[in-house]
Amino acid sequence: MNSTALSALEIARRVRAGELSASQVLEEHLAQITAVDGISGQLDPPALTPLEEQKVHAFIQVTADLARLQAEQVEAKLTHGEDPGPLAGVPVSIKDIFCVQGTTTTAGSRILYNFRPPYTATTVARLEQAGALILGKTNLDEFTYGSSSESSAFQPHPNNPWNTQHVTGGSSGGSAAAVAAHETPLSLGTDTGGSIRQPSAFCGVVGLKPTYGRTSRYGLIAFGSSLDCPGPLARTVSDAALMLQVLAGNDPKDSTSAIQPVPDYLAALAEGVRGLRIGISPDYDHIAYPDTKTGEMGIQAIQPEMNQAVREVAQVLASLGAEIVENVPMPNARHGIPTYFVISRVEAASNLHRFDGVKYGYRTQKPVQDLTELYRVTRAEGFGLQPKLRILMGMYVSAAAHSAHYYQKALRVRSLIRADFERAFDPSGPYRLDALLTPTTPTTAFRRKEVLGDSVLMQYSDQMTVGANHAGIPAISIPAGLDKQGLPIGVQFFGNDFREDLILRVAYAYEQATLQADWRQVIPQALRTAEVK
Amino acid sequence: MLPEKITREMFDKLVSLAALELDEEESEYLRTELNHQLAAVKELSEIPIDEDIAPSLHGIDCQGNPPRPDEWQPFPDPDAILALAPETRGRYFVVPEIAQLSQEGK
Amino acid sequence: MMTRYEIVVGLETHIQLNTETKIFCSCKADSWGAESNTNICPVCSGLPGVLPVLNAEAVHKGALLAAAMHAEINPISYFDRKNYFYPDLPKGYQITQFDEPIGKGGYLDVHMPDGSTRRVHIHKLHLEEDAGKTIIEAGQRLVDFNRCGVPLVEMVTEPDLHSGEEAAQYLTELRQLLRWIGVSEADMERGHLRCDANVSIREAGSTVLNTKTEIKNMNSIDSIRQAITLEAQRQIEAVEAGQRVESYTLDWDADTGTLRKMRSKETEADYRYFREPDLLSVVLSAEEIARIQTSLPELPYARKMRFIEEYQLSAYDADILTSERSLSDYYEEAVRLSGAAPKTISNWMMNDLTRLMNDLGKTAAELRLRPADLAKIIGLVENSKISPATGKALLKKVEESGRKPSEIVTAEGLSLIGDEDALRSQIEAVLSESPSEVASYKSGKESLLGWFVGQVMRRTGGKADPKRTRELLLELLKQ
Repeated sequence: MNSTALSALEIARRVRAGELSASQVLEEHLAQITAVDGISGQLDPPALTPLEEQKVHAFIQVTADLARLQAEQVEAKLTHGEDPGPLAGVPVSIKDIFCVQGTTTTAGSRILYNFRPPYTATTVARLEQAGALILGKTNLDEFTYGSSSESSAFQPHPNNPWNTQHVTGGSSGGSAAAVAAHETPLSLGTDTGGSIRQPSAFCGVVGLKPTYGRTSRYGLIAFGSSLDCPGPLARTVSDAALMLQVLAGNDPKDSTSAIQPVPDYLAALAEGVRGLRIGISPDYDHIAYPDTKTGEMGIQAIQPEMNQAVREVAQVLASLGAEIVENVPMPNARHGIPTYFVISRVEAASNLHRFDGVKYGYRTQKPVQDLTELYRVTRAEGFGLQPKLRILMGMYVSAAAHSAHYYQKALRVRSLIRADFERAFDPSGPYRLDALLTPTTPTTAFRRKEVLGDSVLMQYSDQMTVGANHAGIPAISIPAGLDKQGLPIGVQFFGNDFREDLILRVAYAYEQATLQADWRQVIPQALRTAEVK
Repeated sequence: MLPEKITREMFDKLVSLAALELDEEESEYLRTELNHQLAAVKELSEIPIDEDIAPSLHGIDCQGNPPRPDEWQPFPDPDAILALAPETRGRYFVVPEIAQLSQEGK
Repeated sequence: MMTRYEIVVGLETHIQLNTETKIFCSCKADSWGAESNTNICPVCSGLPGVLPVLNAEAVHKGALLAAAMHAEINPISYFDRKNYFYPDLPKGYQITQFDEPIGKGGYLDVHMPDGSTRRVHIHKLHLEEDAGKTIIEAGQRLVDFNRCGVPLVEMVTEPDLHSGEEAAQYLTELRQLLRWIGVSEADMERGHLRCDANVSIREAGSTVLNTKTEIKNMNSIDSIRQAITLEAQRQIEAVEAGQRVESYTLDWDADTGTLRKMRSKETEADYRYFREPDLLSVVLSAEEIARIQTSLPELPYARKMRFIEEYQLSAYDADILTSERSLSDYYEEAVRLSGAAPKTISNWMMNDLTRLMNDLGKTAAELRLRPADLAKIIGLVENSKISPATGKALLKKVEESGRKPSEIVTAEGLSLIGDEDALRSQIEAVLSESPSEVASYKSGKESLLGWFVGQVMRRTGGKADPKRTRELLLELLKQ
């Protein structure tokens, strides 16, 4: 059996037991990449043939040599009777927002097109120490700004393996696609407003945003410093748990890194949901959407199949012994996107200040009169539209004249959003939830170019996910079916601070109870059209 | 009284402060999007908030690392950092001079 | 003419803390003399993806300084980002403390030469990171990040100073205080203590604050005195000539002793301050704050006053002995250990010991000759065990060899003749060998006494106690 059909857990088990060699695993996955991925994202891509249009294009860079070295190290350890680590021989892809020594780290932007960091992000280092094979850097929205991965400066952008005419979602689109297309069983992504969960939902994989501070941000090129969370993408819940186990834990290089101890995520997985209280909220079955002329907020229905999926998941969980708690009010969910527009942009604009063509990365080739012109032209040429938009918005709402009105206010609305979750999870409160069940996204994956250009509409794709980023709590998206078009539907579980173990447990129970469901047997389009040996 | 919309003039000033420059098409597109986003955030100002609701800097109550001990740990490869620069002279990063610092004279 | 006007001066000081490492990374805080861009890491060079980690000692020293400046230590303070573009600022923002700094209020009592005391208030005291350095070469700006991230404390005074001289005095006492409590080397030539001045004038007796100019690039206390005095004069002359003072930033050129307009002080740039999300709040518990307060040593002025009273020293002596902390500690220890009068010890220290310290370029703390050794030497001299000349020489001998004074005295046979009879017989021998001189003396040439002393010294190889010799000679010559 080709190892690309195996879970990460199974690969690691077999490699550690000597039943499968890391090199063989590696070569099989590299072959899969060759078969399905097509050309890598690049700055000046050629015109795409119709065949290429159907490829996944998850990667900006495939790091075969690096991975081969790592495979050799795993094998050497095994030969010497040393522990090769819990992820021994497991191929992992890394969203190209993480600094990895020995690779270029582009953030999907021209302004870092040649940046080779002299250090490695803590989360990636932990994967390496655990014996993982780093197969490559996946494509993303430029600087993680977006929900479709279309905005990358490295084209072609990733396509949804379920239907390559549709987007992967974003910003961890390349990661979600790589996992869905069996190019790697695991991928490391980041979630600032939903950037792991939304593409996971679009691509039919499992994506987990840990509690803020659970995983180290050291080495992650920052978007929203108070919102960013590195996290795992995988095809199964137990694989996500396995990866989280390796990633989680305090890092002295990150001052916001949590000191809370890390539980054993795998051990708790199979405890079932009997007696657990799982909430459903009427505030998550629609979205509140603004009229972009007047600012008037209106209600918009979401794709009906999303709400149906939630009901079906709830039914399954109820049949397993969970208590479903209906009508949990989350009145401030509607403020999630406006609040996000303000907070994330202020932080982003500031985080992008350092890209100026002086110290690293792109510098304009045009002759410039003075330093100011150097900055302007370099940034104008180096940044795409999405970074420019975020910089301008961020600077506007944090300007001294506006800061109290926008930024300070948004920080306080954030407290309200947090309070909703606190009330929902409060063990002595009215709801006493262990998890809150919602759709992950308002729609399934939209078509390419359908939304890009409308920045408000694009952002609203995150309305259901963003609450977890504001509140800092963990949340997981899991596949829960396919819609009429055959596109994946995702549902989401929110959990209390540092209760990744609980939401993994709930997700696992649902997953295991539906292993035989018809929709789980469907193969994504990109895998059907590829020649998989 | 805050402006309802960003005018072209305000926009251009913002672009300059952001150390950017944009062509006509980009400017119009981005200014439109900016105004749409401002409309979307307008509702924030109408949310009633009690005096005692404090701002949340992080969603959770961050209990992170205490400050570190004052111990020297040199980075093993400062040259690698210099090597990243688009332009260096000797061991310096090079930038063009700053126009407005030339003396006005007295 | 000048008496119609009052000069109003406020000072903005940046103090480089003498921690081992930078404020947000583990590079060295002091890289003076190092080759450019050798003392850097991804954090202080502003690489993408890196994060600041706060240095506990920087917090401690900042809080200690706040306590010494009588400021209120905030139990919770925050870091903020100050956003702007400049080549010596690699992240494009400086991490500083904007509205919730580590210290609120505060003052330094400055002792003016005319005997008055001026309380100079500061508004607040905050921690921040230093920027790098740039130099201009052939129309290009070259940037060195060695200094990026060095911990600084910024203090801005109220406009409580009224002349260049007063400003110089403030800085002198501030510098002394910084070294005294051990938070900064405060060497202005190395940029450990930097100062910009805001200068305006007003009619004497007015309380209005008029347009001010800002003076930068004053790198010594002298420069500060000169530049402020010059600028105040310039403003007065301008106003007298019917012109208005315009708000400018001025650059001081120490070589020519002139001020140069740099740029008009535009409206304050919008730095878009917001809380630094990569750092947690700076928390000091009540216990820690109390410990910091009690750990404050007796400060220079209080110690000076106490020395005057307790040891009956002159103001001059007390001033010198308290100019530097380890010197004053040394003095007190020597007084404690010695039976001699404090004034005697003071003389020894201000003359011979100081000379030794200067020759060797050492502070009192760095001497191998400890207060106990000094006390011993002084004791030996006071008790006529050795001559004063021997005592002075012993200072250097102890310092160089590290051996105890009595050890050296014994080993080198430096003791004065202790046996009175032995001394007497030496003196009698000299007298009997010099009958003509004795006769001359007895017939009135009393200046020969010194000659006799000299002879006794020669004969005893310097081991005669000059005082006792003199006394005995007088006695014997009377006969």
